[in-house]
Amino acid sequence: MRDEQTGTYWQQITGLAVSGPLAGRRLQLVDADELSFALWKKEQPAGTVLKDIARFATDYAPKNWDVRMAKVPTVISYAQAGLGPRGLMLGVHAAGASRAFPYNAILKEKLIVDQVGTQPVLVVLGPDNRSVRVFERRSSGQFYRLTDPNALLMDAETGSQWNFQGCAVSGALKGTCLAHVEALKDYWFDWRNYNPATTVYGIRQKIR
Amino acid sequence: MARKPILWLILALVVSFALLVYPIYVIRPFRYQGPRELALALVVLRYRPFLQILLAAGAIGCLIWWWPKSKGVLRKVGASLCALLVLGFGILSRINVYELMFHPIDRAEFASAAESKLDGAEQVIAVQIGQAARAYPIRSMSYHHMVNDMLGGLPIVATY
Repeated sequence: MRDEQTGTYWQQITGLAVSGPLAGRRLQLVDADELSFALWKKEQPAGTVLKDIARFATDYAPKNWDVRMAKVPTVISYAQAGLGPRGLMLGVHAAGASRAFPYNAILKEKLIVDQVGTQPVLVVLGPDNRSVRVFERRSSGQFYRLTDPNALLMDAETGSQWNFQGCAVSGALKGTCLAHVEALKDYWFDWRNYNPATTVYGIRQKIR
Repeated sequence: MARKPILWLILALVVSFALLVYPIYVIRPFRYQGPRELALALVVLRYRPFLQILLAAGAIGCLIWWWPKSKGVLRKVGASLCALLVLGFGILSRINVYELMFHPIDRAEFASAAESKLDGAEQVIAVQIGQAARAYPIRSMSYHHMVNDMLGGLPIVATY
């Protein structure tokens, strides 16, 4: 990306200015989720949606773009330990560390109680079986999955029930919310390229 | 001015062409970009407009100086062609091929969640700043790549 004021070039994936008068500066990442529209609409009925630009709309990616994209070759690979370059990951940054959670593992387990660096986290699959969010938890926090879409999780310590926004809807902690952790849906080759020290959930061996 | 102005013209032509082509060669899709060559290509991009103007002015100046002295139609035509090409490469340098391919959104418009016709299964990038919540559908973001926006009083740029 390039800013018009100074002509500086910025790297999209990191927000880092790589060339130009502002080289070395970093844009501040805004907390964002990737969600299904239906789920987002339920959470934010007063929200607004970007409209299609009519004259380009016919050129937008088809609905099955992710299926087609999975077959497109990559110029770098980092294939190893059963990880293919186009393996879909949820990449998480916390406590100065990087960790990738394979999407298939999230879909299968629905709730992953784990740690990224020194930060204990919860990786939560939404009631739509598609959207994912990551939250901070206390290291003693043991969470379990429930079947109610409005009360997705329960923590063993207080028996409070939590929704997909990370807020307790019942129990001793009702009204409080868990802190959101920055997460990015990314292909393995790209995540590994920009996070050379990353670990991967479910893989014990050191990542090359 | 050196004895062989035609050599200077040819040099200007080669440099002008290299300045035009190098960034397009390095920074293109489906090619691994090493950090050093990328850094060089970006430097070329930043200084190129100024350099191309210098080269074009130099080439045209060279042509004008040499025109009365040159003998033969062939030499005049050759020199003119060189100067014209330098000018042409300079003009082409001002076109960003990737901005032609990827149309940015110059004026973003928004629908309320209720009136949006988006299918429920469509994936969106969801942002909330203060009380303001906004969704950017991925299928349109993957085409436009960037939206300069203002949300909850904060200027942001949504990218994909």
